[in-house]
Amino acid sequence: MGSLVHIEKLSFRYLESKQWTLSEIELEVKEGEIIILAGPSGCGKSTLLRCMNGLIPHMYPGDYQGSVTIDGIQVREEPMGILAQKVGLLFQNPENQIFMFSVERDIAFGPENLALPRQEIRSRVDETMRLLGIEPLAQRAPHELSDGQKQRVALAGVIAMRPKLVILDEPTSLLDPKTASELVSLIQDLNTRLGITFVVVEHRLDLLTKLATRMVVMNEGRKVLDGKPSEVLSNERVGAYGIVVPSATRLYSELAKEGVKLARVPLAPSELTEQLRRIRR
Amino acid sequence: MHWVAGGFVFRRVESPFHKLDPRTKLLISLEFFAISLLAFAIIQVAIVLASVLFVAVYAKSLKRIGRTILMSAGFAGFIFAINLLFGVGLVSSLLYALRFLAIVSSTSIFFVTTSPDELEHTMKWLGVPRDIVFAFVTAVRFIPVIMLDAFQIMDAQKSRGLELEKGNFVKRIRNMVPILVPLVVNSVVRSGELAEAMESRAYGATPKPTSLYKLRLSRKDKSVMLVSLLFFAAVLYIYLRVKVPV
Repeated sequence: MGSLVHIEKLSFRYLESKQWTLSEIELEVKEGEIIILAGPSGCGKSTLLRCMNGLIPHMYPGDYQGSVTIDGIQVREEPMGILAQKVGLLFQNPENQIFMFSVERDIAFGPENLALPRQEIRSRVDETMRLLGIEPLAQRAPHELSDGQKQRVALAGVIAMRPKLVILDEPTSLLDPKTASELVSLIQDLNTRLGITFVVVEHRLDLLTKLATRMVVMNEGRKVLDGKPSEVLSNERVGAYGIVVPSATRLYSELAKEGVKLARVPLAPSELTEQLRRIRR
Repeated sequence: MHWVAGGFVFRRVESPFHKLDPRTKLLISLEFFAISLLAFAIIQVAIVLASVLFVAVYAKSLKRIGRTILMSAGFAGFIFAINLLFGVGLVSSLLYALRFLAIVSSTSIFFVTTSPDELEHTMKWLGVPRDIVFAFVTAVRFIPVIMLDAFQIMDAQKSRGLELEKGNFVKRIRNMVPILVPLVVNSVVRSGELAEAMESRAYGATPKPTSLYKLRLSRKDKSVMLVSLLFFAAVLYIYLRVKVPV
């Protein structure tokens, strides 16, 4: 699969800030991947996301070194209107991403800004609502939606721009466990059906590790770990970066210290049970 | 206290009047407005008020428009009293007060029956610049959100011992400072997030954005407009020609 995101020696410092928020980040994202981006608060995750969709440097000026290339275009050179069709960014609070008075009109917001013809907007809106299962909500006003529905509507607004890459900034932080796991299934669905690549900043690792192809850990503006979730989570250093390792993986590490070596690193209790059963046999 | 926020939220009502094009409703509203402004006899204003109420019944919005009239009744009373106090005759004072009510109710016909969405389309149709229309849209969209924010802050501050209902008038106003400061800070943060989300969805990418919906005058709209214009002309004629005792 081709490379979708190519970040080379990216360093960024906000205007009038002495400290570099990002230093020499190197990252390659292939098409179709689902990547978890983790790290303690203030490690530069949000800044990196904004560098990927162009808010940095287009909206936030500062010292910008290195380069970010998305689908062959230089983020620095292209206007936001072009970038918005390549990269969609879903922010933490869905409330502040729904502008219009009805769900349908809000999904149409992006395509309207691109000055697409009316029939094209209509078909994008209908298709997106069908994909995300929110057709019954079409005429609802934002204040008539639950938190989970708001999250879906906000995501629909992003998907209607037909981006290749969708970035989610802590998408489950305001959701209850059930709605959160529904959102994760939706991510998987969009990934397999539309081939959308995802970069997800997330603290609830137990939900996402199952479908993630990679996990990247940042600390103090640098990329410190990058690999398969099982590799990253079984790395001894991971705890030092404030990442809560799923209990199945933690148990694996504990067992390894006791001399019980399992064949694979389990990410979920079901995997662990499976392997323990095999040992017993 | 959530009912306060509810007052600002548009409620969709199924009525033939609601289904009209917003421009038709605007025209009717403006006609009523002009008629009430030009009325010079109590009987005329009374007829205007009655007609407005008739339209309100037709639009299944009597309750909301009635509430608007009741809320402005206090101010109408004030107008009446001031006029009377300054030597304007009893009848004229009453006329001014009633005229005020007629103006308020005729404009509220438009605002009560028009969804914010339609209002947005009307503003665009009138040629209001897009940034201003969008500022208006977000302002209306976030009224309930910011109201709920305010209630949450009030609850939080009360639970930390702030006594909102205590003290004299000045003290009570000063009590609002711990509510307003976080509310303003919250709103500023919110507006920053809003700006980011707008940029990310290509706001301003093209000078002439398109729209999912377009206003279209149906045949019914055209006939309603025509009839209302005829009525309007007739009323103006009566105003000019027919002598009515004040």
